[in-house]
Amino acid sequence: MTTSAVNVILSKKERFVREPDQRSEDFHHHLFELEAAGELVVQRVSGEVVEVPTKYGIPKRIQKGHLWHHKSCGQCGHIPGYSTSIFWIMRKLGYDYLDPEDQTSCTAWNYYASATSNQAAQAAVAVRNFAAAYQTGYFPLIHCGTSYGHYKEVRSELLHDAALRAQVRKVMEKLGKPLVLPEEIVHYSEWLYAVRDEIAARAVRDVSNIAVTVHPACHYYKLVEGDAIYDPDVYHGQRTAAVSGLVQALGADLRSYSTFFDCCGFGFRHILVQRDFTRSFSTLRKIEVMREEADPDVVLTHDTGCVTALDKSQFAAQAHERNVGVPVMSEAQFAALAMGAHPFKVCQLHWHSTNYRPLLEKMGIDWRQAWAEFEEDAKRLQDGRQQFLTWADVDA
Amino acid sequence: MDRIVVIGGGPAGLSAGIAAAELGAPVTLVERNGFLGGRPIEENYASITPYLEDAATVMGRMEERLRAAGDVEVLLDSEVVHAAGEGPYTLTIRTPEGERTQEASAIVVATGFTHFDPGRETQLYGYYEFPDVIALQDLEAMLKEHKVVRPSNGEPPKRVCFIQCVGSRDRQIGNEYCSKVCCGVASKEAIEVRQMLPDSEVFIFYIDMRMYGYWERQLYWPAQEQHHVQYVKGIVTEVLPKDGRLLIRGEDTTMGRPMETLMDLVVLSVGMEPSPGTRKIAGILGLAQNRYGFIEVQHPPLDTVGTSRPGIFAAGAALGPSDLEDCASSGGLAAARAVATWRAAAMAGAR
Amino acid sequence: MPTLSADPYLKRDDPTGYAGVDRATKERLINEVFEDPRFPHYLYGCYECGICVAACPSARFYDFSPRRIAQAAARRDVELLFQQMEEDIWECSQCFSCLRCPRGNNPGGIVTIMREVAVREGLASAKEALAGYSRIIYKIMSTGTQVSPDMLQPDAFPDWGPEVKDVSVNLDLWRRMLPPETLHTTTTGWQVADRTLVELYVIWLETGALDMIAQVDKGIHMILAELMEERLEEEGIEV
Repeated sequence: MTTSAVNVILSKKERFVREPDQRSEDFHHHLFELEAAGELVVQRVSGEVVEVPTKYGIPKRIQKGHLWHHKSCGQCGHIPGYSTSIFWIMRKLGYDYLDPEDQTSCTAWNYYASATSNQAAQAAVAVRNFAAAYQTGYFPLIHCGTSYGHYKEVRSELLHDAALRAQVRKVMEKLGKPLVLPEEIVHYSEWLYAVRDEIAARAVRDVSNIAVTVHPACHYYKLVEGDAIYDPDVYHGQRTAAVSGLVQALGADLRSYSTFFDCCGFGFRHILVQRDFTRSFSTLRKIEVMREEADPDVVLTHDTGCVTALDKSQFAAQAHERNVGVPVMSEAQFAALAMGAHPFKVCQLHWHSTNYRPLLEKMGIDWRQAWAEFEEDAKRLQDGRQQFLTWADVDA
Repeated sequence: MDRIVVIGGGPAGLSAGIAAAELGAPVTLVERNGFLGGRPIEENYASITPYLEDAATVMGRMEERLRAAGDVEVLLDSEVVHAAGEGPYTLTIRTPEGERTQEASAIVVATGFTHFDPGRETQLYGYYEFPDVIALQDLEAMLKEHKVVRPSNGEPPKRVCFIQCVGSRDRQIGNEYCSKVCCGVASKEAIEVRQMLPDSEVFIFYIDMRMYGYWERQLYWPAQEQHHVQYVKGIVTEVLPKDGRLLIRGEDTTMGRPMETLMDLVVLSVGMEPSPGTRKIAGILGLAQNRYGFIEVQHPPLDTVGTSRPGIFAAGAALGPSDLEDCASSGGLAAARAVATWRAAAMAGAR
Repeated sequence: MPTLSADPYLKRDDPTGYAGVDRATKERLINEVFEDPRFPHYLYGCYECGICVAACPSARFYDFSPRRIAQAAARRDVELLFQQMEEDIWECSQCFSCLRCPRGNNPGGIVTIMREVAVREGLASAKEALAGYSRIIYKIMSTGTQVSPDMLQPDAFPDWGPEVKDVSVNLDLWRRMLPPETLHTTTTGWQVADRTLVELYVIWLETGALDMIAQVDKGIHMILAELMEERLEEEGIEV
């Protein structure tokens, strides 16, 4: 019995099994070697841990609880629903965490925009944050894709450059902090991937009718690519499983489009002082292609810059009658909505530029009612009966 | 009785077996498949490069020659599972009839290569996601059936492209070598596609065109001049579906601008890696391997077959990317060295 | 130190239009790039395969080519590199899609190093590229967060849509409507501890990062230097 060549070809593609790759450098070896030599301190992953598959097959360990939230300046600054949703989900799943004040921005947005910094300063900023986490015993969880990418770069430079380590150590000594690197550099979307079944189990909204396109962040999977999660059950292990894995677990309608790997056009400098580039790129290469080919109800991504570029670029483009007008948010906000989070008190969608209302309606969320509830709470604050909206208010 | 054991019955193993037997030595050839011919037969190659003769016919001729060459014993569905001794060696061979031992003062390792798995490629080709992205050997199998179609819908493709250097020449993958034959094989297949589908447009996207020696005139010139295969300098980096076809992205290096265009069938020119059999036998026989896992020769460049253990020689793609001529040459040299070893052992009364 | 190409084969009298800048200056700047400790990891050899250009977003909108930058650096073409430092490097979007390079080159990283040199040396093009950016530099260096809520003003971001106005009008209230306690701020992204800021200032001063912006914006540099040195004096920290 012979099988036709076409059938043999198709059967080969059924599953990609990654053979162990002997030649990809596993940074862990170098990291632990330097630790043994007394060159640096490694903050270990501990407690409840999930092992996830990565691009070159090196297993990555994700700590589930007792995390130190390394916040994103852009998220906290003008998309605060993004950060809030991450905290909210973690609380809902019952994992303890620390939200520190002893944290600076990674400063990489500025660095990639203006280069008004240098290698030592960037490394020192990173290590200072890592040391701050280490000293609390909570393991760092990085909120922003660029922080994550930049810190992976810094890790590589520190592991390979003794002179740089010496320079950074000297600065840390002045601050009374050790030279610390975490065992893993973990992005929050990797934590969401690790607990995606727990999230799906707590979903109260059926999202199977919601068409989703995913934009993966360049700094997540292109910059020091070995750390990124790749799963044979998601895109046959050919594209990163971050974001898409969670979308699949939630049962939403994940759709593909032909510019999946394109950058969003954020540009760091361009989004602030040369916005025609960002706007054109986001619109022409991403949003229009998504709408033409996939017709999504929502665009999900996992990075501050990407949400900003894709969300903010559509308004001006409307004036030129471009094919835009799809809401953009982080997968954290979308997952939170699926879990029953309030669209304004938690997801803070009123800070977004794109129109999220049709999406909420399709998800069965009465946004008028929700806004009224938000305004009610706002009134309490305005009247001085309360100073801040609390977690208790949000889940009432 | 001391016999020369040839491990692997592909082009190199057959060459070595034929040469050794014709030199008067007793040969035992061990092959793990139920047939001889190696990769070209296992993967259903249509024709050989660059002569375009039917692969099965060529390998069949070699098999005939082997069986007629002298004292030759062929063990199919068999594998060497253990080795003892410092030379001469005592090999344990697992055959369908059970295990047997074989004394061998000389061994030729010809366990060959495997095609690079495109799922590990740095570039974004989606082999496992998209049915119409195939590899060189997949196209060979279709050419052998005289039926080149898009796997997605069974229709003959109008636009076909080859992407070179898949899995080779890449620091991140770690295969920091050129797989030598893919430029020639792709050009051969491109010619065959143009012959089979005269209305098709065929492109080859490359970094460099490796057309050493006579291949220049045997393959490259006719591909361009007679068969109008389009060679484009600028490798493709992404393949994604669009409008029911495949959108490929690269740089038009002539113009220095990004380019994207639609194709119906994308063929990945995958490189060579040591086969699982090569890795396994290296462990069993204690042979030094180079950093890529191929058997390492001890005194290059003029000794192309001597391994790190006395009396054990390697031939063909177990040593690294090889074309058929390499297999024949190294197979022959390995046989000569093996026979010399076997004769010396006989004279020393080791028989 | 590899020799710079004194006679690249594309020799013309004024190949790049920067005849006014003397050769010695150009060589000094370009050597600074080559001597950066990261450079050997950012440039190996170049196949001219075009993968980087195909993946690059800036290559689609500008006459920008990461391949040309890698090639110029590989050929040690001082004239071409200087032109790129003056004209091209600010077009890069620092996305690092070019890391798909099979040789392991990092053209985006070469751009980062070239930018640092341009900033440090006060090239006019660097100043021009960063005109209008000073307030961001001030924000990130002095507060440890970037783009604070109070920077969302309709005159600064008119193209982002009408909700920018809603945010700015309701800013104080809406920030208090955020459940995470650290977010109850308007002048910074989150509440940064005082001690943390002090540590940040130590980093900027000790590593020389602060002095880099002296060339970009003297005024901002002066203000920041004063602010940081004063604060550190209060803490009794010497740099």
